[in-house]
Amino acid sequence: MTDLASLSARALARQIRDRKVSSVEATKAAIERLKACHELTNCTIALEADEALAAAKAADAAIAKGTPTGPLAGVPLAHKDMFDRQGKIASWGAKIRADQPAAADATAIARLKAAGALQIATLHLAEFAYGPTGHNYVLGHARNPWDPTRITGGSSAGTGCAVAYGAIPAGFGSDTGGSLRLPAACCGVTSIKPTWGRVSRAGAMPLAPALDTVGAIASHVEDLAVMLGAIAGPDPRDPAASTLPVPDYAARLDDPVKGVKVGLDEAVSAEAAPEVQRMVDSVLGILGKLGLARATCRFPDWQTLDHLVQLVQLPDASAAHAAFLRTRPQDYGPQVRARAEIGHFIAAIDHLTALRARGRYLERTLRETFKSIDIAILPILADPLPTIAELDVSGGPKVQAAMGRVVKFTRPINYLGLPTLTLPVPRGGGLPNGIQLIGKPYAESLLFAVGQAYQREVPPEIARPLG
Amino acid sequence: MPSPKAPPAAPASEEPGAYLDMPPERRAAAKAHAALLARTAGKVALELPIGADVDDFRRVLVQGAKP
Repeated sequence: MTDLASLSARALARQIRDRKVSSVEATKAAIERLKACHELTNCTIALEADEALAAAKAADAAIAKGTPTGPLAGVPLAHKDMFDRQGKIASWGAKIRADQPAAADATAIARLKAAGALQIATLHLAEFAYGPTGHNYVLGHARNPWDPTRITGGSSAGTGCAVAYGAIPAGFGSDTGGSLRLPAACCGVTSIKPTWGRVSRAGAMPLAPALDTVGAIASHVEDLAVMLGAIAGPDPRDPAASTLPVPDYAARLDDPVKGVKVGLDEAVSAEAAPEVQRMVDSVLGILGKLGLARATCRFPDWQTLDHLVQLVQLPDASAAHAAFLRTRPQDYGPQVRARAEIGHFIAAIDHLTALRARGRYLERTLRETFKSIDIAILPILADPLPTIAELDVSGGPKVQAAMGRVVKFTRPINYLGLPTLTLPVPRGGGLPNGIQLIGKPYAESLLFAVGQAYQREVPPEIARPLG
Repeated sequence: MPSPKAPPAAPASEEPGAYLDMPPERRAAAKAHAALLARTAGKVALELPIGADVDDFRRVLVQGAKP
């Protein structure tokens, strides 16, 4: 019997297509695993078993009839609960929600459906996707499947947990300041934060639209390639969606990576804890074994980038919440409320300065940082995996500093809009952590090829509580 | 001199976020954080040419896609 939990979505789709396993069997098994994962991690918001099984039956029938199907036909997935789905109201992980069911599917959801994937559940997220740790004072905090006393990372916490546990092979999340990379790193799986604009944001709950990026978390890098290939591309519903052609990412997974230059900004990386720096070194060692050349690089002043991204994000998020902060402040959890308030105190001229400077900082990064490298590498978490209690700062005076430390290495990249692949570091029996590989704009294919080669050396693991 | 028929003058401008129900210490912390970020914005503004535009970012992203 095939261990369905360890299969990639692509491999599972192949088995379903070849009728070695039915979509109904795969979906039932995924539902059971998700229930167990939820018990451990609080990962699920709503299980949609009946709808998913009906869709699975339809997928099996279509395959039996020989009807052409998409690359993910019959594969059960689940997603962060922030995407519009026709006739449904997404929870946004909050008490406050849209007052009308969605009129249409979010573009990413519609495109994944067209690729044949099923949705079995909606998954946990930080309230309004505005939190990097998995804490949620409305839903209850998410718990890490490797050690339930530890954070899951956020905001796409449920997707990270469910993928790491092997409940689903992949799922959607979003990333405004690290929300795909942090849960992937904390849960020991992979994620792709595409280039800003590569994927339409239409129908995805906005947090800070100038930074918001829809992407995916998966056990296998190959599934990130398949999913991005399915959802990327222009969209009349999102004027920021890029019209550049979408490569066949899956076809390029095995592109050679020998000689690819990977650069570490040692000054930035030195701000991580020594254990984390050693993890980055261990990954560089593996990449070296694969034939990549190690180099150094320098990003523009990291603290300046970190301040500029906040000058974009904070007012953007405050503006999105301005009405609810006036009318329903009591319905916010303390942390999100405290963070959503701050943007009100940022002057318009400072916000616009950060937006006007963004192109120049990106230009400089491409000219200088990437002058002699193909990809950059940085930590994701500054520290070994923290406990939920350590970061339970609520809305108190420590919130900015504590959250700032968590997103130290992630949110400046959102300012630059660059694509970023998360890879788990070898655990050596310990807790998970991850690194990010940062590419030039629209260079997702190269990131996937490196990630695919890396996973031949560091295969995906299924998370279970450690000893 | 306002005309006698002009509407009454608007009330004195409130400080930003006056409508937010925030305890004083949280308001002070938010202002302090905004001030910290404003110092960076001030430095960055000095380096920016008058023609710098918010749309530069998207243009550079596309240009950066070229090998």
